[in-house]
Amino acid sequence: MSTTGRVGVDVGGTFTDAVVVCGERFGVGKVPTTADQSVGVLAAIAEALRHAGCQASDIGQFAHSTTTATNALLEGAVARTALVTTAGFGDLLQLRRQNRASLYRLGTHHPPPVVRDSDVIEVNERMGPSGVLLPLSDDEVARVVAAVANLDVEAVAVAFLFSFANPEHELRVAAALREALPHLRISVSAEVSPTVREYERFSTTAVDAALAPILGRYLEALTGRARAEGLPEPTIMQSNGGRLYLAEAASHAVWTVLSGPAAGVIGAAALAEQSGVADALTLDMGGTSADVAIISSGRVQRRQETTIGGHAVSLPVLDITAVSAGGGSVAWIDPGGALRVGPRSAGARPGPAAYGLGGDEPTLTDANVVLGRLPPQLGDIVLDVSRARDVVGRLGAGMQLTVEACAEAMLAIGVAQMARALRLVSVERGTDPRGLTLVAFGGAGPLHAAQVADQLAMSRVLVPAAAGGLAALGLVLAGQRRDLVQSVLLLAEADVALADAAKALGTRAEAQLPGASRRWAADCRYVGQRHELTTPWAQAPGVTGLGDAFRALHRERFGGGADDRPIEVVSIRVVAERPGHPPPIVAQEAVDLGPGPQCLALPGSTVWVPKGWSGRRDAVGGIWLEREG
Amino acid sequence: MSGLDAIGLQVIGGALRGVAEEMLAALVRSASSPNITERRDASSAVFDPSGTMIAQASAIPVHLGALPDAVSAVLGAGIAAEETWILNDPFAGGTHLPDITLVTLVAGAVGSLAIVATRAHHADVGGMRPGSMPADSRELLQEGLVIPPTRLAIGDEVDAGIVGIILANSRTPAERRGDLGAQLAAHRLAAKTLRELAERVGEVQVAAAGAAFIEYGERRVRAAIAALPDGIARARDVLEGDGTTDAEIEIAVTITVAGDQLTVDFGGCSAQVAGNLNCPIAVTRSAVLFAVQVALDPDLPASGGTLRAVTVIAPEGSVVNALPGAAVVGGNVETSSRLVDVLLQAFGQLTPMPACGQGTMNNLTIGGVGPAGPFTYYETIGGGQGGGPDGPGPSGVHVAMSNTMNTPIEMLEMAYPIRVQAYRLRPRSGGDGAAPGGLGVERRLTVLVPAEASIITERRRHGPPGSSGGAPGRPGRNLLNGVELPAKWSGRLAAGDEIAIFTPGGGGYGEADV
Repeated sequence: MSTTGRVGVDVGGTFTDAVVVCGERFGVGKVPTTADQSVGVLAAIAEALRHAGCQASDIGQFAHSTTTATNALLEGAVARTALVTTAGFGDLLQLRRQNRASLYRLGTHHPPPVVRDSDVIEVNERMGPSGVLLPLSDDEVARVVAAVANLDVEAVAVAFLFSFANPEHELRVAAALREALPHLRISVSAEVSPTVREYERFSTTAVDAALAPILGRYLEALTGRARAEGLPEPTIMQSNGGRLYLAEAASHAVWTVLSGPAAGVIGAAALAEQSGVADALTLDMGGTSADVAIISSGRVQRRQETTIGGHAVSLPVLDITAVSAGGGSVAWIDPGGALRVGPRSAGARPGPAAYGLGGDEPTLTDANVVLGRLPPQLGDIVLDVSRARDVVGRLGAGMQLTVEACAEAMLAIGVAQMARALRLVSVERGTDPRGLTLVAFGGAGPLHAAQVADQLAMSRVLVPAAAGGLAALGLVLAGQRRDLVQSVLLLAEADVALADAAKALGTRAEAQLPGASRRWAADCRYVGQRHELTTPWAQAPGVTGLGDAFRALHRERFGGGADDRPIEVVSIRVVAERPGHPPPIVAQEAVDLGPGPQCLALPGSTVWVPKGWSGRRDAVGGIWLEREG
Repeated sequence: MSGLDAIGLQVIGGALRGVAEEMLAALVRSASSPNITERRDASSAVFDPSGTMIAQASAIPVHLGALPDAVSAVLGAGIAAEETWILNDPFAGGTHLPDITLVTLVAGAVGSLAIVATRAHHADVGGMRPGSMPADSRELLQEGLVIPPTRLAIGDEVDAGIVGIILANSRTPAERRGDLGAQLAAHRLAAKTLRELAERVGEVQVAAAGAAFIEYGERRVRAAIAALPDGIARARDVLEGDGTTDAEIEIAVTITVAGDQLTVDFGGCSAQVAGNLNCPIAVTRSAVLFAVQVALDPDLPASGGTLRAVTVIAPEGSVVNALPGAAVVGGNVETSSRLVDVLLQAFGQLTPMPACGQGTMNNLTIGGVGPAGPFTYYETIGGGQGGGPDGPGPSGVHVAMSNTMNTPIEMLEMAYPIRVQAYRLRPRSGGDGAAPGGLGVERRLTVLVPAEASIITERRRHGPPGSSGGAPGRPGRNLLNGVELPAKWSGRLAAGDEIAIFTPGGGGYGEADV
């Protein structure tokens, strides 16, 4: 039993959290996040091991979520990267989808592409929907390789039109680059994301290339430190909620861009299930923003593409929406005389006035301090009640409100805004929040959850045990998962070709995760439509059934009668999964915690039970808030 | 009113605003046509029972000011509680025919609770050309089916006869049925949410919150107007021919700031034209509201409060307030762009504003019969935004009343017998300046089968003006096999013909360093 222990480490903006599960033993560690994240990671592990009473040698699995790739992208601090692309289309990363960055602020620019203008090399070649339109000559390949060699870049993105269907030209150029310039990271669009729609595919490929050297260096440093401590090689959380082996992560940097938020939601889903919740809206609220996701029938909802830092990423990810509302959201009075909260945040530095770190603007955290809903100390920070009263009182004076009334007003407005955002997220995804449980975590989630639920006419809130370090726990529990996609553009009646494509994709999935369970789906649409519906394909890779499944799904989603229009299959998808671990059961006696108003202090977070609500703890440590009557 | 009452009303007002957002989300999610699901050419709003707008949600500025006219038209026609009405008549509450508006009067337990409305661009409502955006229309009836304000449903009982007439007049009836169904579903969701809100907080409180939200919007816009210096500013420009002649069409505006009141007067604009560049008053008002938001306060809540502080004067029978029956399809896309240009130039005399953007949507339609059957491809193409006090203008974007996305090249070539030869920025097309204008775009494509094309563009003679010493952006160009075409053109293409559209660059801002 010496190496069955597991450790999970999540790096957040302020803190790095670790969780160790080792047989019956359990330990957590929390340290400040360091500039080289690997330093804090090892320190958090050491603390968690100490609390669990375990050794590094007991650990057989090390799972990690990192914000290295995300931060590099958000800050534009990516590796210098070349783009090699079809002649006539070198500006696609700038042209994007032509909609502007801001509807009414006309001077606003989209974030600059990850590739500089001068690092774009156009290639004389052209594929069309059904094959070669302009052949690629050997001389042209040689010219392109020489041109790339002349650039001072660390990485190259190779992305040609129609390569999702006809990748030969891309692969020839990539092979020549890999042979001639082995020190460069090469990302090829047909390998990174073989999906139709050129801007999204090119952007995904360029982001992958530009992050690869950054993530590679970080993972190398982390692995070295882990080895020195006697820990196993880390596995890395991907944006789709499954873990990835180190070498794969290093060569698929773009798969990790939502590593951190994914871990939290996976942890929340696991603990919610343990408390008997299958359908939920999750609210992960920290200092600067809140992440919202939907769990249906025990599964976290996913989407097929997303945008990160203004860059399109066409890969399956957990469907997590960031809302700009956090404990640090600043209250202010606008030119119409209305009290507003956010979107500006005081962040971690200077943070709320009560932190005493130089913040002098009233934040939601200050309002909670004024109303006595936070403990005297948060981690190392002793909360300064008089500073909080000062800044909230100053704001209230302008509206003839007492300091307490102003704090209540700030929370009412902050909560109303959060509720509006949550409702919109639900409606956009076809879900009615009323029947769901609100699962709240993060430092500030449990503090506001009951009031948010009130606004959404939801009657139950679950605050999972370990609500303050759920992402680290999620890492310990997460399984492995690969999402493969291939655009095919076949008619649904093209049985044989479809079955062949489905089988081929299934084989690739099996190679990546041997022995994993596999599920197929297909993005279908009626011929002439421009938008696809991802349709589960139960019979795949066998033939038939897909057309009927799509028609039924389309009717369910959009209504309408029988429709015998021909169906086009745009892409085939395979999900390969190896299950994770159930949460460690810390059985305890269920306890009635009584009616609000009251505060319940948990490790790493505080729960506010308002008047009209009551609390109880269930047998696995989850705190339930239920509306009375 | 005490501070706490105001906070309570603000929370309820926020919920009303949420209803508008939620309606639009539900509509976009469940519509059938890509024009709504992908390009989001739709909007929604909540009104008080008297027809004053409380809140609106929209991703497309051209919808901004148009819904209030639809609601007054329906109120005037006698809508009763729990009824849903439909219209698209540009001279009775609409803008152009593809934009179909639904209006529902929602009843509470006590009295009328609110009015909700949605507007969606339906991809085909009949008329002389597929897509109902004909470049060569000369009267409204050529542009499609005209629907005056008409009762569509009582409660959930939809009048199948009226739906049948609409479907029979569209080339894509299944899609129309789906999109109308999505609008109706959005209205049902809004009615349900509104009733629940009223049960929770009381109908009186909902009404009070609506009124407070409108007053708040009025305070916001008045504060922004009052921050401008009092005075009069004028600007003028031209449209480059209505499609029947090359004669330039005068567009002129005078804005007057007096304290916290703004008057926008379009006296001096040309009389309405024979072609389709005419605007119904709703489009003109939308352009004004867009310019006010850009110039005065980008976060202004879209409510009826704004129009209490902004007076719009547009002479009847002019190109900015055309008489019933006039062709209008180009007014919505092109004249509205020029109205924004002159408005922002006038505001620029009172407060720092960017130079002119491309000032056109570069509308291109190609239709014919391909190997897979008949096809219609419609696209609008981005260009340069003007440089401004915040820096250089963005490149290759829609600059004003539109913000729709492009059609991906791979999707286009798979769906239509068309090949894209190049899609790139147009070097050196932005006007010089301390902050140069953004770049225009080159989109070059070849048809693989014989086809018909129609082009509605502007800024082919005169580049978008610079500001504060900046140079104008380069004018756009339309080419057929390398030969220059006029700004507005319809004609036949042979297989292998190449159309190249070069869109204008933005104007420069401030004198360039030498």
